[in-house]
Amino acid sequence: MSRWVLGEFRTPERMVAAARALRASGFLRLEAHTPYPVEDVDAVLGLSGSRLPLLALLAGVGGAAGAYVVQWFTQAVDWPLNVGGRPLHSGPAFIPITFESAVLAAAGAIFLGVIVACGLPRVTHPFLDLEAFRSASIDGFWLAVAVDGSEGVDAAEGALRQLGAAVVLAVEGRR
Amino acid sequence: MSEPLPLAPVTADPLVVHPLLEERRPDAQLGEALLRPVLTAPGMGWWALVGVCAALTVLLAVAITITFVTGVGVWGNNIPVAWAFGIINFVWWIGIGHAGTLISAILLLFGMKWRSSVNRMAEAMTLFALVCAALFPLLHLGRPWKFYYLVPYPSSLRMWPQFRSPLTWDVVAITTYLTVSVLFWYLGLLPDLATARDTAKQPWRRRVWGLLSLGWRGSARHWRHWRTGYLLLAGLATPLVVSVHTIVSFDFAVSQLPGWHSTIFPPYFVAGAIFSGLAMVLSLLIPARRALHLHAVVTQAHLDALARLLLVSGLFVAYGYVQEHFFGWYSGNPYEMHAMNILRTGPYAPAFWTVFACNVLVPQLFWSARLRTQPVVLWCAALLVNVGMWLERFIIIVSPLSEDFLPASWRHYAPTWVDLSLLSGTVGLFGLGFLLFLRFLPPVPISEVKELQHELEASEAFAHDVSAREGGAR
Repeated sequence: MSRWVLGEFRTPERMVAAARALRASGFLRLEAHTPYPVEDVDAVLGLSGSRLPLLALLAGVGGAAGAYVVQWFTQAVDWPLNVGGRPLHSGPAFIPITFESAVLAAAGAIFLGVIVACGLPRVTHPFLDLEAFRSASIDGFWLAVAVDGSEGVDAAEGALRQLGAAVVLAVEGRR
Repeated sequence: MSEPLPLAPVTADPLVVHPLLEERRPDAQLGEALLRPVLTAPGMGWWALVGVCAALTVLLAVAITITFVTGVGVWGNNIPVAWAFGIINFVWWIGIGHAGTLISAILLLFGMKWRSSVNRMAEAMTLFALVCAALFPLLHLGRPWKFYYLVPYPSSLRMWPQFRSPLTWDVVAITTYLTVSVLFWYLGLLPDLATARDTAKQPWRRRVWGLLSLGWRGSARHWRHWRTGYLLLAGLATPLVVSVHTIVSFDFAVSQLPGWHSTIFPPYFVAGAIFSGLAMVLSLLIPARRALHLHAVVTQAHLDALARLLLVSGLFVAYGYVQEHFFGWYSGNPYEMHAMNILRTGPYAPAFWTVFACNVLVPQLFWSARLRTQPVVLWCAALLVNVGMWLERFIIIVSPLSEDFLPASWRHYAPTWVDLSLLSGTVGLFGLGFLLFLRFLPPVPISEVKELQHELEASEAFAHDVSAREGGAR
């Protein structure tokens, strides 16, 4: 069972300022929920860059290599069909399929990578049960502070109120 | 003033004639306005259009059934014109898809803000156009239930597809393009599906959109991965879109036929694809903007930008025509010259000069800034370009085939009612898909428009601040 205290702010600027203040006062396990991506929030929350580009590169190279090997094996090794004396291992003719397969593999990896890295699909979540939290995808800028025990809840609630949160809620549930 | 002022984008720029957003609204109201098409009951107009498109889709099903039961002999194809409608429609539809990817991916990489309001509709258009396109090669196979022969799988026949042939390249290009377009579209939809889930009142809507949004909560971690992934997919889709129509053009350019065997084909096809797709975007966007009251987010700035793109890509296409005919003449080869002459003065002259009027002359209207923002003029021009681009594919495919090297084997082509039903049927299927999309999914990207509004407000506030400081210093 995990516990969070949620606070809603009316503008992204106020939310970022509040996140900065919370981190300065020792609340390090913070998360922001916003209707659109907010500048600076990654830096304030101390999030590092996404590693998806590396995944995309590896998948792309893998896709290209796989496609080239399949073409070479089928045309030059397993079924060597002589068409007008042209070379069996005809590299230039294999380029289009190699390129397309690289794109296909990389795109599939990126999509699955985003889904997995975000912890989706996850249709139930303790936050999604809250009626007030619906504004997180509409016009509310929420901060979620992960806390331990009831004294943690009280401290976080106090801090969020002091920073000007319009709504403050405590939530309990499975992470 | 002693300290240097930072450079800021000033939206009160006298050079900006049309704003990207006509009005500013609180985020909640903006989101609700953009979701109104999916949250309210559709009007009579929607039902009437669905009726027409559904009827055409039934016609498509009938034509497909007749083709399957009897065989491709019910089409007008003959020898030597063995390709005809099956390939014309394929090239036309797949080209239309390209503008959706241009708007959603290429303009994202170039940081063009105006794409935000129109990219969802353009991407939906791409998807439905690709579905229509993919149908034709399958039907054209003659025995479509054996399409899996095109996939390299270890079979008891001990045969493999011939990967030196552009036709197998096509298969991979189209499946990749369709898959990447679906992934890109769905990834872009995720945040808006969550907004729809949270805005809806009825439990069943919340449940359906809740499932489709996969539990999106808009956390900073979500957005970080989402933005990276979205940008990467755009980066991949950009070379992909160029490669797809290049490969389609290889179907022609790699052959030996006079009129097809030309190095101008790949760039000429890509330009034509984007040109025809932009025309289709305008044909769909202008009525949708009016019917869904999207004037505040799809403004004259968007029409202006699309009209400029239509003009530029039209000029590329015109250059392609000039080069094609120049190559034919400069080759000195009687067969090449003949292939071009029959377009200008032979049996295909009426079609060729119609193409010239629709694709070269009509876009020249948009040198005028006033005409670029006239929805009616733009819409009519876009429809003419659609017709022109279809006819262009017709003459590219039919005329070199019908009169090639040996006059004894020349034969002309006329479509049958089944051919015409397949073409109009796919138009119906395309329209039906687009209408259902407008009804069930947010047609304008909500989170992107909110972000854009916030950016514009921030830069205006900054500009205001700067000018106030300047005024104080003087």
